[in-house]
Amino acid sequence: MASQEEIVSWVKSLTLVKRGAESEIRLGVFMGIPAVFKLRVLKPYMHPKLAQTLVAQRTRKEAKVIGHALKNNIPAPRLLAVFPSAGLIIMEYVEGPTLKDLAFKDLERSLKLSREAGIILAKLHKAGIAHGDPTTSNYIAAQEGGLKLIDYGLAEFTEDVEERAVDIHLYRRAVESTHAGIANMMFKEFLEGYREVMEADAKTVIQRAEDIRMRGRYVEERRKTVWGPLK
Amino acid sequence: MTLILGIESTAHTFGVSVVSSEAPYILSDSRRTYSPRQGGILPREVAPFFSSVAGETVKEALDQAGVRIRDVDAIAVALGPGMGPQLRVGASVARALASYHGKPLVPVNHAVAHVEIARFLTGLRDPIVLYVAGGNTTVVSYSEGRYRVFGETLDMPLGNLLDTFAREAGIAPPYVVGGKHAVDVCSEGGEFIEGMPYIVKGQDSSFSGLLTAALRLLKRGSRLQDICFTLREIAYSSVVEVLERGLAHTGKREVLSTGGVAASELLNEKIESMARLHGATFKPIPSKYSGDNGVMIALTGLAAYLWGQRVDPSKAFIRQRWRIDQVDIPWYFEFPPLEG
Repeated sequence: MASQEEIVSWVKSLTLVKRGAESEIRLGVFMGIPAVFKLRVLKPYMHPKLAQTLVAQRTRKEAKVIGHALKNNIPAPRLLAVFPSAGLIIMEYVEGPTLKDLAFKDLERSLKLSREAGIILAKLHKAGIAHGDPTTSNYIAAQEGGLKLIDYGLAEFTEDVEERAVDIHLYRRAVESTHAGIANMMFKEFLEGYREVMEADAKTVIQRAEDIRMRGRYVEERRKTVWGPLK
Repeated sequence: MTLILGIESTAHTFGVSVVSSEAPYILSDSRRTYSPRQGGILPREVAPFFSSVAGETVKEALDQAGVRIRDVDAIAVALGPGMGPQLRVGASVARALASYHGKPLVPVNHAVAHVEIARFLTGLRDPIVLYVAGGNTTVVSYSEGRYRVFGETLDMPLGNLLDTFAREAGIAPPYVVGGKHAVDVCSEGGEFIEGMPYIVKGQDSSFSGLLTAALRLLKRGSRLQDICFTLREIAYSSVVEVLERGLAHTGKREVLSTGGVAASELLNEKIESMARLHGATFKPIPSKYSGDNGVMIALTGLAAYLWGQRVDPSKAFIRQRWRIDQVDIPWYFEFPPLEG
C-alpha cells in the first residue's frame, strides 16, 4: 500500500480539469474505476495549523455528507477513498452531460430531468442535508440512466428553512441565467418534483425562496450572469 | 468649485471636515475622540462629550480649511448607521448649521462613506470591499446602482470581538495605542492554540463562539499571548476567506479594506496574500483614514450633493440601522467628482 504522501504526489501528476477557490479537480483511474480526484488546497493566508485543520475538517465533512446521502438512496457519486489530512477525496466519475448542457439540446428530456432534480433535492433535504450549490451544472445525466447530484463541497447537515430555500433559489437562478427561454418551465417542473417528495413542508421552503429572491442581492447576481460581469 | 462641510458622529469620533472638488481636495480634518477610562463606549457618556466639543470642532475644521461657513455649498452629515445618542448630536449640529445658514443638507450613509474614502485614496475604482470595524463586518461590492452585501457577520462585528476580549482580559482600555490594538500588542510571541472555533457559513462569518472559547481559555489560565494570537488569527482569516469567496463570485479584479480594523498590518498581509493568489490588485487604505473621520462624510457628501441628494432639515431623522444596500450610488463610475 502506498503512503498518503505518495498518493497525493501521484494525484498531483494527473491532469487538472478545474481549479476553484476551495479545491483542485483532477480526473484519472482509481483501482480500475474512472475517478474524480478532489484535492483541497491550504490557504496561504492562514496560519499553517489553521489551514491544515480546515482542510481536514472540510474534507471529512464532505465525505460524511456524501456517505449519508448515499445511505438515503440519493444519487450522489460513490466514494472510493478519503484522506482527510491530505484534503483528498476520490470518488466515482459520473460520465454524462450536465443538465445545463442538456437543456440546450433536448427540451423534453431536460424538463423531465428538471422534475427529477427537484425530487433529488427534496430527498436530500429530507435526509437532513442542504446542498449549497445545486445548479444545473451539478446535475449529471448519467450514462447508466437517471440523474446524479454532485459536488457536496458546500453542503451542510441542516434542516433550516433558510438553507433549504437557498438551494431552491440557486437552482432557479441557474436556470434563469442560462436557459432564459425555458426557465419558467424548467423551474415549474423542478418545484413539482420537490413538492411531490416534501409534501406539506414544501410550502414554507418555496415561500422563503421567493423572499430571498426579493431581498435583491441575489436578483442582481442573476442579471450579472446573463449579461456578463458588470464593469 | 464645490465646498462641502461633513460631520461624523456615529460612534466614538466627532469629526468635521471641509473638502473641495478641486485639489488639494481635503482642506481640513478635525476630530475629537472619546476614550473611556474604563469599560466600553457608553452612548450616554459619549453624547454629552460630543455636544461639548461640537462647536470647537466645527470651528477648527473651517479655520484649518481657511473658509467661512458662508463659503460652503452644503452640509453633509452621517445619519447612520450608528449609536442613537451620538448620531443625534451630529444630526442636530448639521440641521442647525443648514437651517441657520440656508445651506442644503445632504444625508450620508456612514458605511458608504467608508467605502468611498477608500476608493478615493487608493484609486481603485471597482473593488470588492471588506468593511471591518467595531460596529460593522461586511463584504460589499457595487452592482446595478448600489453596494450589495455579499457576506456579513451573523452576530458580532470583528472589532467588537477584539474590544470585548481585550476588556475582559484586562488589557484595555485604551483599546488602540499608536495605531495598534491591544490584542495585536498582546499577540506578540504567541503560539497557535488548536481547537478554537472557526466559523464561515457560506458567505457569512460568526464570532460569538470564538469569543466564548477565548474567554473560557482565559479563565482556565492559558497563556494570554497564545489566546490573543489565535483569536486574531482565526478572526482575520475568516473574514479574508469570506472576502475571497466574494472575489471569486463577483469576478471583480480589485480588493479594498476599510473601517477601523483595516489599519491592522496583519489583516492587510492576509488580504494581500489572498488577492495575489487570485491575481487581483489590493491596496491598503492609509491607516489615518481607516477609522471614523469627517473627511469621508464630506467626500461622500460632495458626490451625493452633485448628484442631487438632499434631505429637508425637518425630515433629517437619524437611522441607527441604515444598511449600505439601501443607498443609491448614482455617482459610482464617475467618482471621485473632481475638477481640474
